[in-house]
Amino acid sequence: MTSFIQRFLRLAVLPLFVWVVALFTVSCDKSPAANEASGTASGKPKVAVIISTLNNPWFVVLANTARDRATELGYEATIFDSQNDPAKEAAHYENTLSSGYKAVLFNPTDADGSIANVRKAKAAGVPVFCMDREVNATDAATSQILSDNYSGCVALGQYFVKQVGEQGKYVELLGLVGDNNTWNRSKGFHSVVDRYPGLKMVAQQSADFDRAKALEVLEPIMQANPDIQAVFCGNDAMAMGAYQALVSAGRADKVKVFGFDGADDVVKLIAEGKIAATGMQFPKLMARTAAECADKYLRGERTFPQKTPVAVELVTKDNVAKFGDYGRK
Amino acid sequence: MTRSRRTSRTSWYLRAGSLAAVAVLFWLVPPFRVVNLQAAHRQTFDATFNPSAFVEKLWTELLPKSVDRATDAASLLAAIQQSPTAAKTKHARSAGLGDTYYYFVKGDGRVVAMTKDGISLSFDPDGATAQVILETGNIFGNSIRDGTGVLDVSDFPNSQDFNAISSEINRRIEERVLPGLRGKAVVGAVVRFAGCAQITDEKTDLNPLRVIPLTAEVR
Repeated sequence: MTSFIQRFLRLAVLPLFVWVVALFTVSCDKSPAANEASGTASGKPKVAVIISTLNNPWFVVLANTARDRATELGYEATIFDSQNDPAKEAAHYENTLSSGYKAVLFNPTDADGSIANVRKAKAAGVPVFCMDREVNATDAATSQILSDNYSGCVALGQYFVKQVGEQGKYVELLGLVGDNNTWNRSKGFHSVVDRYPGLKMVAQQSADFDRAKALEVLEPIMQANPDIQAVFCGNDAMAMGAYQALVSAGRADKVKVFGFDGADDVVKLIAEGKIAATGMQFPKLMARTAAECADKYLRGERTFPQKTPVAVELVTKDNVAKFGDYGRK
Repeated sequence: MTRSRRTSRTSWYLRAGSLAAVAVLFWLVPPFRVVNLQAAHRQTFDATFNPSAFVEKLWTELLPKSVDRATDAASLLAAIQQSPTAAKTKHARSAGLGDTYYYFVKGDGRVVAMTKDGISLSFDPDGATAQVILETGNIFGNSIRDGTGVLDVSDFPNSQDFNAISSEINRRIEERVLPGLRGKAVVGAVVRFAGCAQITDEKTDLNPLRVIPLTAEVR
């Protein structure tokens, strides 16, 4: 009987224990930045910059600009990387709220899933200012500064039709399926392109806004559909991955790639005629505006628009000289 | 032999029990889920919002009333010619941050040219040059929603709902405004209209103004 219990413990309870420990480790994981944040003592009020992921240069620009502007305004700002993981994001909020941060400049991982974190901050009297990505609530964040993704992709869709024509096959690479930006971009694009029955979408797959995933996802699609003429990507990281896949397949000069973000590497490739277009999102403008709103709030102002859309501008070979460094030159 | 067989059977039970325990655990706390893309989208989109019903009220009440606030097209064109910056300050509407803005205009213009996608109007009694082009092809974007100023994005928790309103407005314009306009307009006729123009690049978008018609009547 003792042997039976020992064996049961080894074979059944041990995996359960490992599982629980793994879950606990994930939910309690803190980035180095978070650990650093909890131990600061400069005397300046602290502002947290919680970002969905830093595994994308565009978000690094958003995070660094928010941190730098908050620093200029007299705060001690720290960046927290949620690594696209809602559990990590929740842990960052726990850390932020228990460590005396006065405001959060926030780029959510999930439009619905992140609401609880924002509400928790609001209940603790800590204002949250969303940047680029929204939460699906108008009574949680103090203010949300958001790209007008839909309009930007309407313009991209119109340019797509001009470049590809009214006949042809194309692929769409979507971003994170839980993010509103993914669908606002896709819907803006399709509000135009779907009006041309000759344009056939042969595949629509998510590559999670990730360059490596885009490369991985597009390769088999190209093998199954060697006659595609264009790839529409929900962000520039995926556009870079798609372009890389096309270069590897020797098809970069035959397939037009369209991105969205205004990332520097894509803007350079547009100037070289290698990528067709992107939508410039102005991450620096959004990040600076969020930091300035937080400063105004902490100085006593309480009237902010719940949502401030930021216009997206079409970047093509014809006007690319006007753009660079994540904005207009 | 018997003891060995018993041990083997016990071991088998243990393995099966362990597998069952792990299976139950995975069922209770799944490490991942496979979800259809469209199903995932439906989860993120507010299923209770009905853009068609919302726009019905907008179309019959708010939008017709908003026409009273539109700027007279001939006066706006004159103001733009004098100073685009001053005209923008006085008459334009911006939906947020950025260089894009909208004019909400109305007026009576004479048809000077027609194409598949537009009807060109002049406000000069003897002019033959297009000063306004009424868009009559496929209607895209947020010009009417944002240019009229009848809605505020801050009232919509999910921006997908807000954008669905634009699609529905555009669909109604294509179905209810454009057929009458395209069917009756001829060169020389006068068109009474109200609509919105989006200005993204002042070098190309101010002359002529490309207006999406909210109302249009050939007189």
